[in-house]
Amino acid sequence: MGDKGLLTAPVDLAAYSFDGTTNWQSLPEAVVFPITTGQVSEILKLATAQQIPVTPRGAGSNLSGGSVPISGGIVICTTRMNKILKIDADSFTVTTEVGVILNDLNRELAQQNLFFPPDPQSFYVATIGGCVSENAGGPYAVKYGVFKHYLLGLTAVLPSGTIIKLGGNTVKNVTGYDLPQILCGSEGTLAVITQVTLRLLPLPPAHQTVIAVFDKVVTSGQAVHRVLTAGILPAKIELMDNWVIRRIEETSHLGLPLEAGSILLFELDGMPAAVKMETEGVINGCQQAGAIEVRAARDANEAGNFWTGRRAGFSAIYGTSPTVFAEDITVPISRIADLISKVQDIAKNYNLTIVIIGHAGDGNLHPSILTDKNNAEHYARAERAVNEIFIAALEYGGAISGEHGIGLEKKRFMKQAMQPEAIDLLRGIKKVFDPDGIMNPGKIWEDK
Amino acid sequence: MSRNPAIDNADQCMKCGFCMYNCPIYKVDHIESHVARGRNLLIRLAGDKSIPSDNDYTERLSYCLLCGRCEAICPAKVPSPDINIAARTRLIGEKGLSLPKRAVYRGILKNRKLMANLLGVAVWVPGVSTKDGKPLRHMADFTSIFSKGLSLPRLSHPFLSSRLPAKTLPPRGVKTKGQVAIFPGCAFEFFFADIGEGIVSVLANAGYEVVYVRDLTCCGLAVRSAGDIKTAQLMAQHNIEKLAIFDHIITGCATCGTALKDYGKWFSENDTWQSRAQALSAKVSDFSEFLVKEGFTSNAVQPVTVTYHDPCHMKWHQGISNQPREILRSIKGVKYVEMEGADDCCGLGGAFTLAHRDMSLAIQDKKMQNIKNTGAQIVVTSCPGCLIQLKDGVRRNNLQVKVMHISELIRGQIKPPQKRRSTGDKGERLPPLKPSL
Repeated sequence: MGDKGLLTAPVDLAAYSFDGTTNWQSLPEAVVFPITTGQVSEILKLATAQQIPVTPRGAGSNLSGGSVPISGGIVICTTRMNKILKIDADSFTVTTEVGVILNDLNRELAQQNLFFPPDPQSFYVATIGGCVSENAGGPYAVKYGVFKHYLLGLTAVLPSGTIIKLGGNTVKNVTGYDLPQILCGSEGTLAVITQVTLRLLPLPPAHQTVIAVFDKVVTSGQAVHRVLTAGILPAKIELMDNWVIRRIEETSHLGLPLEAGSILLFELDGMPAAVKMETEGVINGCQQAGAIEVRAARDANEAGNFWTGRRAGFSAIYGTSPTVFAEDITVPISRIADLISKVQDIAKNYNLTIVIIGHAGDGNLHPSILTDKNNAEHYARAERAVNEIFIAALEYGGAISGEHGIGLEKKRFMKQAMQPEAIDLLRGIKKVFDPDGIMNPGKIWEDK
Repeated sequence: MSRNPAIDNADQCMKCGFCMYNCPIYKVDHIESHVARGRNLLIRLAGDKSIPSDNDYTERLSYCLLCGRCEAICPAKVPSPDINIAARTRLIGEKGLSLPKRAVYRGILKNRKLMANLLGVAVWVPGVSTKDGKPLRHMADFTSIFSKGLSLPRLSHPFLSSRLPAKTLPPRGVKTKGQVAIFPGCAFEFFFADIGEGIVSVLANAGYEVVYVRDLTCCGLAVRSAGDIKTAQLMAQHNIEKLAIFDHIITGCATCGTALKDYGKWFSENDTWQSRAQALSAKVSDFSEFLVKEGFTSNAVQPVTVTYHDPCHMKWHQGISNQPREILRSIKGVKYVEMEGADDCCGLGGAFTLAHRDMSLAIQDKKMQNIKNTGAQIVVTSCPGCLIQLKDGVRRNNLQVKVMHISELIRGQIKPPQKRRSTGDKGERLPPLKPSL
């Protein structure tokens, strides 16, 4: 597999024992870097013959524990399978190997005025394969949806070593069960995906960022609802609370308003005339909802600064506390304000700092609880608070994870989120793909 | 294990992995133990004795150019290069320095006279030195045997110290604006003395009295990067003492500039040297930074297409990237073209290139492709290390491109002054600047 295609030294294994979370660490016994689908097949044949656990991994920037090799075994790292195979500008599709970095893909596409919208905020490092496996999404989900909405077809290798091609190249395709969609979001527990075909869009010609400042987080939640129900569909609506704003300013000095209870960042995109009208609509909606200040970004530079700040938000949270529960709950858009109030009550009741940041436009919030796993009493309180946040999200008709996945981080809550018969269906599907249970074992649901 | 504040900064890493996007090495081999995120974790684990401080660990620490891109893109601004240096220091504390390294760091580099004497002998070895910038043709690559194929620059003959008076005055008719001290650094002293002269000549022609301080030593950056921070501090102290009396200290070397500007950070709060070091650091400017600040205007040159390579020590460590471009764009006759990845590393990384030549070349290859794509006739840079690596790359790839320090383009082709004795404080005048190129 080429130069340094197999790593076994203790120092290297340690570097593959973690992912983007703070809680999980477990050593693999080997890390391999295949370059071709055929090599992946050979590795999986060997793993099946020897009954060795296999954990697929892209850049390891995921936030669920999903790529942590919790049962040891082999890590199949796909980062060297990094060729974009075919950009079809006439059919609006791209076929690519899975190790390509999302940002690199979009840079290539932009040269042909093409656009792949799903934008997990790890796009500087996240691989396409990791994104498909986690069914990742980001701010653009409001208007453009998430990875599963763009996945047309794929090549994958089953644990037996069999190479399968699923789906196709067209937006419409109802040939049997939608098997690519079963692999999408399967967190590496079914097969190793090696190539994918994705749907593309034309690059929108105009963009405008709007910043709205609120005295309370709840008011910003109401503003989101008001803008959307007024018939405006922004590309992104992002929320940051006062704690995040202050922290970002400490490290990056972007000129965000330090006194604000929260800010909303909107991005409108599309044809210039439409963007202009929508910008006015967003400004009106925020004013009516009671924004202290709302204005369009002066220029691309200022807009860029705001979005850099937003991207830094998560890291800013992680950098301040030994352990962070970065939750990923999603509720229907009409319940965002309720959810925010509830989270603030929970923070008060448990005497915890719970920071709120997230994709307010699609109901996906990341309430992040700052704690320390070495402080048993504090940690226990934080765990109880997480539980209450999940109960609230489910009560409001939402989900315990919007985009990060279950992995290790949330599997203990699966029983609350899914009925037992549904979890049994997951197990059944797993059994069909992976009868020996070697693919990323120990993830998503708890053993019976 | 005693706590080390520099290493404790690794705890601030939240593993987002943004550094992986910017790391020249990770971009080539995609190995997590070769990039800040993974290395920071390894350094923490080694501190807890969770992983052995074995040869593999030592090698992974060395697999870093200390270019600073990881820190630049890091949302939490984790100082990963400094963490790596602190970890190297910790290793030296545990295992000591090898004899050859001790000889180089604590003997030769720290002792300028010894270095001058050793290199002064080497000058007489055929093929090792140049006269008037022209390499001797035969045995031209003799020294590359010792550098795993990297074509090293020839030694200058004579060294810069023998070429410059103690004080160089502006030419007649040019009004004196002030006085600056030049920090030549080892490269312009011993290897690129022509360029060293050119830097002085440009400054003098711009109206500055340029003081050449005789007994400076190496800036210490290479020694500090290797983890021998105690020796590096001694070198810094020596230079601080010699330079403290000057208001402006100018260097044409991106690496020396980084070191001098960072001297303030090389000493801890409770060290009495800290304030002296900070005071000195505040007075240091890079050559191009100083010229732009002082409103320098250049003469016209023959029409030529030029591109610029950002040295890591310039852009990521000193935050200087506009000034050299501003100068280049201001020169009549220069058509400036930006290369893709202008701020991508050249792959030298000081001793890195000797320890990890294959990786260094893989990074160099990308740079050469980007230079070639511009169609430029000249690639300009601001760092002697980059000069070495770029010249090596141009030779290896047979590119018809000249590699130049920015001062070379500005000063054009003036003849180096005659070898003259120092005239003390009286100073000497250089001939006025001739049209460049």
